[in-house]
Amino acid sequence: MGSLKPADSEGLGFLATRVDELINWGRKNSLWPMPLGLSCCGIELMAMIGPKFDLARFGAEAARFSPRQCDLLVVAGTLTWKMAEAVRVIYDQMPDPKWVIAMGVCSSSGGMYDSYAVVQGVDSILPVDVYVPGCPPRPDAVIDAIIKLQKKIERESPVRRLLKGPGVIDETGTGRNFKQPNFAFDHSSLDLHPHDPKAKIEELQK
Amino acid sequence: MTATNTRERVAAALEGLTFELVDTRDGMLTLRVPSATVRTVLERLHGRAGFEQNTLVTAVDRFPEEPRFDVIWQFLSYDHNDRVRVETRISGANPSVPTCTDLWSGASFSERECFDMFGIRFDGHPDLRRLLMPQGYTHFPLRKDFPHGGIEPDRLYREWDAKRRAEWGANA
Ligand code: SF4
Repeated sequence: MGSLKPADSEGLGFLATRVDELINWGRKNSLWPMPLGLSCCGIELMAMIGPKFDLARFGAEAARFSPRQCDLLVVAGTLTWKMAEAVRVIYDQMPDPKWVIAMGVCSSSGGMYDSYAVVQGVDSILPVDVYVPGCPPRPDAVIDAIIKLQKKIERESPVRRLLKGPGVIDETGTGRNFKQPNFAFDHSSLDLHPHDPKAKIEELQK
Repeated sequence: MTATNTRERVAAALEGLTFELVDTRDGMLTLRVPSATVRTVLERLHGRAGFEQNTLVTAVDRFPEEPRFDVIWQFLSYDHNDRVRVETRISGANPSVPTCTDLWSGASFSERECFDMFGIRFDGHPDLRRLLMPQGYTHFPLRKDFPHGGIEPDRLYREWDAKRRAEWGANA
């Protein structure tokens, strides 16, 4: 506390930065996760919240299954395009301020499921704050992600955000003005998958 | 009951119909029947041969051969403790076979899955919707000419997202 200077406090004065620090201190130590266990990673998420790894030490153990009561979305598992609409609605229903952790390689990048059904990284549909690699990541790794997120929250500037009105946020936080990456990943640039029928089809069409 | 008895029972049930016995590696009694009579074959297996349970409806895509799809049914009889498999070959253009949901109502989901993955229509199915892929998806993922990376996997989501943003305004 106090060692980090809020990122954009110019012109708002000493008081604003103190209030920022107070608000950030409260926010970062009482994250309420929305446990979105979509597949196997959900089990590690449960272990993390349970007594052995004890997420309560970091103030984030109050998992709620209503998005209205949460401010941390943990996407734990393989996100399919069919599920993507539901996840986006959950994210939209969470009140600001809100943060997202992409837990596991599946939600970070699609992981081993380079497939027609799987979203190649939840950042295709949501802004993500912290990515956690691993398949599944150990609970310690996710706890580390939460500590990283707490560091990130420390640098946000809620007062400035309040004064500027809705829709304007500081660059370090997430919110409404993220850039949505495009899924249009060019598979043709890759070597053909051994089972890819493309070569055969082209050969037949000749 | 031995396999020979199964074969005799099935042959008796299918009297007067053309079918061909196929050797398979798993040793299950396998009949290859022309697609025109497949419905009669299924009715006889259900009624006369007493196969109470449908355990599988699926297909194999033989692309680029023509006729293209093998449709495969597997049945189980509790009384006789034996199984039978029926195969038929259908064309790739507008593929369709008759449904068997009126005989084995449990076949409903298998037929829907087969339709979802291969685009084979089961004529007479009461509710032939996609099962696994989102409604509105227009391609069939288990066909051999479906590319590994998929075709427009995100189109339906993007359309939904654009509509949502238009409704909710710039802050959505
Ligand atoms: S990253 Fe691994 S453990 Fe996690 S959801 Fe994907 S496959 Fe399962």
